[in-house]
Amino acid sequence: MMIIEKGRPLPESLANLPDALFEPVGAASAQDEAFKTEPVGFYRDAFNRLRKSRLSMISLYIIIAIILLALIVPEITGYSYTQQNVKAKNLPPKIPVLENLGICDGTQVLTNRKKSSLENPRRFPEGCVLEILNEYDVNGVTVVDVLVDAYAYSGVPDDEYHWFGTDYLGRDIMTRLFRGTRVSLLIAFISVLTNLIIGVIYGSIAGYYGGKVDMVMTHFAEVLDGLPYIVVTILFMILFGSGMFSIILALTVTGWIGTARLTRAQFYRFKGREYVLAARTLGTPDRKLIFRHILPNTIGPLITRSMIAIPGAIFSESFLAYIGLGIKPPEPSIGTLLSVGQDVLLQYPTQTLFPAVLISVLMIAFNLFSNGLRDALDPTRRGEDV
Amino acid sequence: MALHDNDTILRVQDLSVSFRAYGGMVRAVRGVSFDLRRGETVAIVGESGSGKSVSTKAIMGILPANAVIEGGSVLYDGMDLTRLGEEEMNRIRGRRIGLVFQDPMSALNPIMKVGHQITEVLRKRMNKHDAKARALALMEAVGIPDAPRRFNQYPFQFSGGMRQRIVIAIALAGDPEILICDEPTTALDVTVQAKILDLINQIKEERHLSVIFITHDLGVVAHMADRVNVMYAGRIVETGTAEEIFFEPAHPYTWALLSSVPDLQTHERLMSIPGTPPNMIYPPRGDAFAARNQYALRIDFEQEPPYFSLSDTHRAATWLLHPKAPKVEMPEILRERIKRMKEEAAHA
Amino acid sequence: MPEQENVLEVKHLCQYFTTGRGRKRMTVKAVDDVSFTVRRAETFGLVGESGCGKTTTGRTIIRLYDPTSGEVRFCGREISGPMTPQTRRYLTDNIAMIFQDPIESLNPRMTIEEIIGEGLRTRGIKDKAEIHRRVLQMLAKVGMTEEHATRYPHEFSGGQRQRVGIARAMIVNPQLIIADEPVSALDVSIQAQVINLLNDLKAEMGLTILFIAHNLSVVKYFSDRIGVMYYGKMMEIARSEDLYAKPLHPYTRALLSAIPEPNPLTERKRRRIDYVPERDHDYSVEKPSMVEVEPEHFVYCSPSELAACKAMLRG
Repeated sequence: MMIIEKGRPLPESLANLPDALFEPVGAASAQDEAFKTEPVGFYRDAFNRLRKSRLSMISLYIIIAIILLALIVPEITGYSYTQQNVKAKNLPPKIPVLENLGICDGTQVLTNRKKSSLENPRRFPEGCVLEILNEYDVNGVTVVDVLVDAYAYSGVPDDEYHWFGTDYLGRDIMTRLFRGTRVSLLIAFISVLTNLIIGVIYGSIAGYYGGKVDMVMTHFAEVLDGLPYIVVTILFMILFGSGMFSIILALTVTGWIGTARLTRAQFYRFKGREYVLAARTLGTPDRKLIFRHILPNTIGPLITRSMIAIPGAIFSESFLAYIGLGIKPPEPSIGTLLSVGQDVLLQYPTQTLFPAVLISVLMIAFNLFSNGLRDALDPTRRGEDV
Repeated sequence: MALHDNDTILRVQDLSVSFRAYGGMVRAVRGVSFDLRRGETVAIVGESGSGKSVSTKAIMGILPANAVIEGGSVLYDGMDLTRLGEEEMNRIRGRRIGLVFQDPMSALNPIMKVGHQITEVLRKRMNKHDAKARALALMEAVGIPDAPRRFNQYPFQFSGGMRQRIVIAIALAGDPEILICDEPTTALDVTVQAKILDLINQIKEERHLSVIFITHDLGVVAHMADRVNVMYAGRIVETGTAEEIFFEPAHPYTWALLSSVPDLQTHERLMSIPGTPPNMIYPPRGDAFAARNQYALRIDFEQEPPYFSLSDTHRAATWLLHPKAPKVEMPEILRERIKRMKEEAAHA
Repeated sequence: MPEQENVLEVKHLCQYFTTGRGRKRMTVKAVDDVSFTVRRAETFGLVGESGCGKTTTGRTIIRLYDPTSGEVRFCGREISGPMTPQTRRYLTDNIAMIFQDPIESLNPRMTIEEIIGEGLRTRGIKDKAEIHRRVLQMLAKVGMTEEHATRYPHEFSGGQRQRVGIARAMIVNPQLIIADEPVSALDVSIQAQVINLLNDLKAEMGLTILFIAHNLSVVKYFSDRIGVMYYGKMMEIARSEDLYAKPLHPYTRALLSAIPEPNPLTERKRRRIDYVPERDHDYSVEKPSMVEVEPEHFVYCSPSELAACKAMLRG
């Protein structure tokens, strides 16, 4: 810190400054600072931030990939989701290329076989036995565990591939799984969308008008929320049969209440804001206040909430299927596949594995993506990091 | 040099603080130096973003996590506070330096009885009974009527002014020798503010405290301060006694500040400062105020001015005080006002 | 003083808010029997501390709240009754409001042009070019430029945002502006910009302004007449010079004594006056009312206090 004492001579560096530097510049030059960047709209800004979040983008790609797979795979496997094949029951997965690496090569360990039966070509067709693993005596009979090529063992042609194996009716699991994903996603999207629409309308009315209207509407929603959801679902199944409609109905009958609460809370939060008051003093009609001034502020949380609700709906559907309230066979859903798979979990774990992995990936991806979306749509983080 | 007498209790030297932010480092405080002497009140006045609050937070070691002390020292009792660990700092905070914040509600724990919050500081040194007696005495000292009953109440049961009194009582509980007040009355009504200011002055006298008082309100400065530091864009642009700052201001920013607020006698058009404070991620070259300064010289845009002393206590960082600079008078509106204020003072 | 046209007449305005139900029901008298008039082209300052009802008064006049009782007339037409579309139209065409918080009062999702142009669109102007032209005109008036129009509020400083708020209120060409603490959230160096702007606009467009603030220095500087409110009641109304030179109500005196002035010599010696209603008034026998003590100077006092006031004015 340089201090020039009063009455002392100036240090040389200051005394020798050129006179020209001490000319007044005149009126202050400061104007409102010119903008150096392009104007950025709210959604553009949110999207920019979303794009920066690597985890959410990966999740988004995963979600898109799964949706694409669900659309394409059932059409190109060459099997139909209903096509049964008694010969090809409970086959393990067999995938080209990978089979050469020793995984998903269509092999299977059969335990406790009489060694003598290995010789019987009717039981063990030519060349299906790959390796004898254990050999032991039980009551004087030689028993073996044997690794077999399950496809050859079942008499399925060598060029037939079931990537994820087959189920107890010999149906191709991959076809059924992605067909099921399609169904599950459809159920999830429709129910979430319905919930969103009902919830936003209900919540907006309750929140905007407040007072008695709000009180009655809130109480009604609370009563509805108190209904036991399984019982309601069973009721729907009895009434409408066990189809997609019943399940969607079951998922929406109370599902919208959360959205409605959120919307209502947001309305309460924003309707007293000064800018809403300002619009009111300009004579802006109610409709515009709701749609232009209040609702856009609730969209961020609503989108986030709906995104989180999608895996929730998929899971609920699976849960219903699991306890036997699922979609009507032979139509698959991830839940019914899991339910069927767990019956044979110990013998054929792959039948549960693939649906379980898929539903897990789907749920994690949706959750991560909605987290990223929530951060991106958070208005307090506007303009950050772009 | 007179600024270096033995009375100095706290010395801030060349303190620089920056914040990590999106887009770079925000240079919030850029080389701030001042002394606090025993028994005096130093006011730091400036607008939001001038660095006044950040410098005191640096003194107290309560900077947010994204702040970095880039240089300088805070000397107190033979220690450099910027180098102390959290534990040592804790021993100084509350005991030897008390703090009063702007918002009393957020400074108090909402679910703890106020009496308990006062005794918390005391309990380290005395038993429960003594602590309570002392807390009650403190509450009375800061003007809380019916202290024994109020002792068991929660913050929400107090009005804004009473809450601020509680905060002051807590700050005083450790028997500090320095009190730092960060905009303590900004959230309060004027009549309440007047009472709190008088209270701070009164306890300062009684306890012989040294006070650092941060505010943006020049009226409050006039009421409280012995000496004034005017801050702009992270630097002290002018420092002096209250009389010097109010009656003989030398820095164009001080001029603008003084003439941009109306007082009860103002009729003239207010002098407004054009533009907005600079973005401190990219501090401008030269004098940070130059672009908004209607008296700016060419050199203001080139080189940062040094401090020119006007008296033993008064100095200002402006090139206008350089012998080669053209003679510039303070704005008419301000000269009129100072004349009027002096007359008023003579009358009173 | 020649009789001037009253633009706004507020008579016995009451605004009560009730909270809770049943036994917990509580009534807050935010505005309690407040009367005043605002004349054409003048600035009427409404001053008081937080919770005194000054903001509520402003908001009730512009019908953000429905008044509990009392009457508000604008140019002789009642605007406090039931809200018909015609009355609402009349009200919103003639009265506009400027808000306190420069951040809160602008919709973050709208561009500056959309914000300022909203009043025009609400009035049925559909021509985009027309709206654009008038918005730019208004922006120029508040000292901003065309390039600001496409920007969003968060890109602006507090002072700029407040200027946008002013432009939004002014674009519908109102006769009366209710300015609710328009500068109290701004930094001192910015306050002057906004005050000067309001003064210029007032002179240029012949505006009438109801100026609501807690800072008596600013109100005094800006207003022709001032009303002082305390806990929902009007305490004193006077020309701003008179209010400062000869405050009559003890609360006004307390308020004036509490304002710290930027003069260290007088400020250090200043004595504050306390206002304690229970001590300063005895209304057990006599009831207070609003009385005109001298021309243009009204005080809320009882008959014996009135005598004291008159004595004070003579002495």
